[in-house]
Amino acid sequence: MPGKQLSRWTIAWFASALAFLLASLTLAVAGYGGPADWAGGAALAVVHLFALGWLCQMMLGSLIQFAPVLAARPLARPGLALPALLFCALGTLMLAAGFLALDGWEPGRPLLSLAPLPLALAFGFALAMLAPVLAGRGAWRQSEARAVLAGLAGLAALWFSGAGMALALTGFGPGGLVSGGLPVHMVLGAGGWLTLAAMGVSYKLFAMFLLAPERDTRLRRAGFFAALAALALALAALIMAWLEQDTALPLALALATGALAGLCYLAEIFRLWRARRRPRPEVNMNFSRVSLVFLVATLVLLAPAALLGGPFAEAAVFLALAGWLSTLTLAQMIKITSFLTWIQVFSPLIGRQKVPMVQDLSDPRTVARWLWLWTAGAACATLALLAQTGPGFRLAAALMLVAALGLTREAWAIRRLRHLSPALRPALLPPVILPPHPTPVQGRSSLHDRPHPI
Amino acid sequence: MDRGLRDRVEQALTSVIDPETGRDLVAMGLIYGIRTEGGLAEVEMTTTTRGCPLSEMLRLGAEAAVAGVPGVARAEVRLTWDPPWTPERMRPL
Repeated sequence: MPGKQLSRWTIAWFASALAFLLASLTLAVAGYGGPADWAGGAALAVVHLFALGWLCQMMLGSLIQFAPVLAARPLARPGLALPALLFCALGTLMLAAGFLALDGWEPGRPLLSLAPLPLALAFGFALAMLAPVLAGRGAWRQSEARAVLAGLAGLAALWFSGAGMALALTGFGPGGLVSGGLPVHMVLGAGGWLTLAAMGVSYKLFAMFLLAPERDTRLRRAGFFAALAALALALAALIMAWLEQDTALPLALALATGALAGLCYLAEIFRLWRARRRPRPEVNMNFSRVSLVFLVATLVLLAPAALLGGPFAEAAVFLALAGWLSTLTLAQMIKITSFLTWIQVFSPLIGRQKVPMVQDLSDPRTVARWLWLWTAGAACATLALLAQTGPGFRLAAALMLVAALGLTREAWAIRRLRHLSPALRPALLPPVILPPHPTPVQGRSSLHDRPHPI
Repeated sequence: MDRGLRDRVEQALTSVIDPETGRDLVAMGLIYGIRTEGGLAEVEMTTTTRGCPLSEMLRLGAEAAVAGVPGVARAEVRLTWDPPWTPERMRPL
């Protein structure tokens, strides 16, 4: 594969994550999880298939690709990318199956206690690949890298909280974590890990896709320090939950400082958007804007969620995961898949013959149609949670499932170059999911001169 | 310096397209310098970001395009990120 800074396994991470997305939505449509029904084993399984299997895997797969772009250095220990993916998928499946112990399925109990182990290996391998790149040679001074590093610290804290709860549920850990630790676990997952990492990556990606000036600003620094404060407060709340103390105050303060960080981020992205040199942004950026609207809605819901809980808390968490983070992820997944496919197939031909553009590999109207359906589904599901209507939530989840299937089909079409005229398609294409064979960079791609497995 | 050869080299670089924006390397402001001496053509170029995964492939593509210019016996394209690229370097649409 051309490009020494490219990770070979990103598409495999994406494929695994999409499988978990489709599985979690199918189960939600079937009625597992829904308004006021998140405490049961099956519902918790669905939530973790979505949050851990879908969002966490997409984020790790993306970071393995983009940390070298952020820091302009190759990935450390790239050979860990595949084991990390396998352990992450295994840990997610064990956790999901393990939660069924709460519904009386006894074989699930050891799975629930042991699931943190493969997840520790997966996250440990990810940290071993990413942290040296982002922290070394002063890279951490860049706004993008330091936000992702803080996000990785959030991931470590998320694992500790989750492992503690899994052990507590099976009778081996501190009982206080199960009740008091749950809101902290959710804040760490949606905010401390996924949102912080998304902020870091999007500073870079948005500037690249919009052709906007990249610079560290006071707003970025203010947002980062607010996010660090929120992370520290969430950690304090976690420790207090462990000690069976009241976590209300540190948690409320974490949400307030987290909201401040979110506002700084939104203002900074607004500045980037206005400074762009690309007059007509592509579909991935237009739907990134939609995801930012979901982020605003999430921030608006934080106060009623903290004060009133119940439907407001359910809606706020759902908006963060399915609205803000998933819409952003789906929109950028299509773009990244196109970009990586283009690099694998066409980059060796630059300067030698006419090549298509990256956006020619996808159909923007099809992508926009599925992303609008996803947006409508996520918005309707949030309203259903606020109104506490189970059938409405399942119907909205069905819309999201259809949208996810449509986007999966589009990703497949991109990998097969279906949107290109036959004249522009090479006879042999890279594998759909697995990486192509490593090839020398000198001038020609193996795709153009020797057979490849499909 | 052979002005005609230099212009032909620049012209050849306009055939190398940035696949993301559809604009050529010269219009993107990615070419920092062109020097020709005898049959040697030296080009200094950058990418929009230092960690760009396409950096090496763009460099090789530019080198292939320059090597194809009549009168060029040897093409050398070097990457630099000093000064870093900014969108202000782009030619107006």
